[in-house]
Amino acid sequence: MRQPAMPIISPFESSIAKPGQGTVVLSLLPPANPTLTTLTYKYPLKLVPRAPGFVGSNGHGPASEESKSLCRPVHLYLLTYGGGLLPGDHIEVSITLEPKTRMVVTTPQGSTKIFKTDPNNRGNMPNVIKGHRKQMPANEHLSDMSQQSLDVRIGRQAALCYLPDPSVPFQHSRYAQIQTFTVDATAKGDQRSSLCVLDWVTQGRTSRGEDWNFRSWRGRNEVWATDEKTGKTRLLLRDSVILDDEDEDLNSDEDEDEEDDDEEEEGTATDLGRDSHSPRVDTPPPQAGLAPMNILQERTRPHGVLGTLILSGPVYDDLGSFLMHQFNSQPRIGSRNWSATAPASALEPSLSAKNNVTWTAARVRAGFVLVKFGAKDFETAKHWLGGLLREEGTVVREFGEEALFSL
Amino acid sequence: MLPNETPHDLHVEAAQLEARLQDIRARLAADFYPDTKTAWSAPQDPDTYNHRNNKFQSDSVRSSSLHALLLLSDSALPLGSFAYSSGLESYLAHNKTRRTHTVSSFHRFLRLSIASICSTSLPYVLAGYRQPSNLETLDNDLDASTPCIVAQRASVAQGRALLGVWERAFRGGFAGSEQLHDNHNKDADAGAAVAAIDDFSEALKSSGFDDEDDLGPKGHFAPLWGVVCRAVGLDLQQAAYVFVLNHAKAVLSAAVRASVMGPYQAQSVLASQSLQDTIMKRIRREWHTEVEQAGQVVPALDLWVGRHELLYSRIFNS
Repeated sequence: MRQPAMPIISPFESSIAKPGQGTVVLSLLPPANPTLTTLTYKYPLKLVPRAPGFVGSNGHGPASEESKSLCRPVHLYLLTYGGGLLPGDHIEVSITLEPKTRMVVTTPQGSTKIFKTDPNNRGNMPNVIKGHRKQMPANEHLSDMSQQSLDVRIGRQAALCYLPDPSVPFQHSRYAQIQTFTVDATAKGDQRSSLCVLDWVTQGRTSRGEDWNFRSWRGRNEVWATDEKTGKTRLLLRDSVILDDEDEDLNSDEDEDEEDDDEEEEGTATDLGRDSHSPRVDTPPPQAGLAPMNILQERTRPHGVLGTLILSGPVYDDLGSFLMHQFNSQPRIGSRNWSATAPASALEPSLSAKNNVTWTAARVRAGFVLVKFGAKDFETAKHWLGGLLREEGTVVREFGEEALFSL
Repeated sequence: MLPNETPHDLHVEAAQLEARLQDIRARLAADFYPDTKTAWSAPQDPDTYNHRNNKFQSDSVRSSSLHALLLLSDSALPLGSFAYSSGLESYLAHNKTRRTHTVSSFHRFLRLSIASICSTSLPYVLAGYRQPSNLETLDNDLDASTPCIVAQRASVAQGRALLGVWERAFRGGFAGSEQLHDNHNKDADAGAAVAAIDDFSEALKSSGFDDEDDLGPKGHFAPLWGVVCRAVGLDLQQAAYVFVLNHAKAVLSAAVRASVMGPYQAQSVLASQSLQDTIMKRIRREWHTEVEQAGQVVPALDLWVGRHELLYSRIFNS
């Protein structure tokens, strides 16, 4: 994974940066001096490094001996002007963590706001997305979509901790995000790259009554293993969530300039979707007085926030085991209370309502631990996840309390 | 009639031309996703229809893929699909409703489940059919994309069962049979698919369990389904439709056994036009979806399937 001796590039010589693009290279200069050898970015993206205030681990057991010889984590703030993404914004961040380096990435502005797609500005925006992401969905709405791609290469024994705030897609917004993490395929055992990535999305601005009213939100996280010598790559993990109101399907020949009709269109979409199955559908009214559910609400119900946490590598081994243990020791679903006082006919309260957080953890292949969760709202998810990570302690011990900034 | 031709020769020639026409239509259809109305080959022209139905044509059964289609859509095909509810059991446990609402709650689940299988697995079926030689990569990528152990187990168990059925039962009947020699194109197509399955099966057997990262070939269901359908001569629509319909059948069968509805009610759902329309609509939506773009459209379903392991009592494996 080591790059061929990279000269220190002046930050002023920013020939590479297109709007929204940023590049970061973190190297370990001898003896043990983590240094950002490259840091470039261009409007509307802003990347701000912070001098590491947190120094290494605090000496428990042999593992920490080793981690002391590794390097201090470098903190990188990921910022956009205005704290969100406008239609047509395309953020493209590329980060390289050279061997044995550590980086914490956070979003100090709070949630990533995805602003609404204004149907009138199509045509003003560039139609072609440049760069190497040819796998971005090629549909006609590309130009008014907000996009973010993050590409992180994590060298052997290097570690990334990326616990950002959730993205909050506003009503009518469109957003696609691709996060690619590349690890060193040749590293085995303790030499492996480590990563901890959180990706979560909320129903929108609840204060304004938004409830999964955006047009589309796509989030894809991929982890690839690359062998630099042979050039062989292999997909280790792909987590892809597509939340799409599927409006285009039903109104493919209508122009979508008539923004006011959206409410009705959503209603139509739901009705069609609902009718499509049973000759006789008697869906219970969700809540009296509310509009019928749109397709996204139906697919996400009863959650207001959904997320994924991906863990891999030696640094997060303990955390992964801890989460698996927590998951497996949850109370069994549907076990009866046999005590005589329990009312026999009482309906069990809906599980999701009781716990507020519905989650699952799985140890999938290549030692990855994948946690998926859904919760009533952002605060609930935040307290739950922050609580678990603090209780276990790996993140704070290895990266400092700042890494949990968003939680 | 030319002097040296017998009526028999002409019959043979006509049958060959018909077979070619069908094949060309099938190949055309594989490129474009057709209209819902014309997807299923009820002949549009009533005259042709009557003409066809008034006399028995053994050729039309043999040269078309009807026989293979019936085999693959049979619920007695030993894939073990009956053991999986695809999250229904867990869904019911998580969404307790009053008795009267159970059926409508089930309809919601079926709708979500079909949307989800189409967005996550169908692209792999299509890709397996279109590029059989990519089978091993597709298998790896689907394995990487399946977020929970429960779904992974279900997919791998059914995929390996399909591989077993192919090797023990279908291969002899389809891979070397004389019907394929009628048509060179089909022969080459099916031949490539057969070779791909053989290679994959070999890779699966030779990959030991010593791989610490567990990254060897797995035998996931969706891509194998696509390749097997190609090997037995189904066209792409058939492969996709039967895949989704079988899924719906499995979910409905699970619903009957989980006492959500009775068998007649389940059949009526299965027979309904609306189910057909839903399946068609979902297939059309994913027809051009690359496997890289496949993803979960019903995130809540991942949670239910993943939490199946937490159920106190289980009658299904997923």
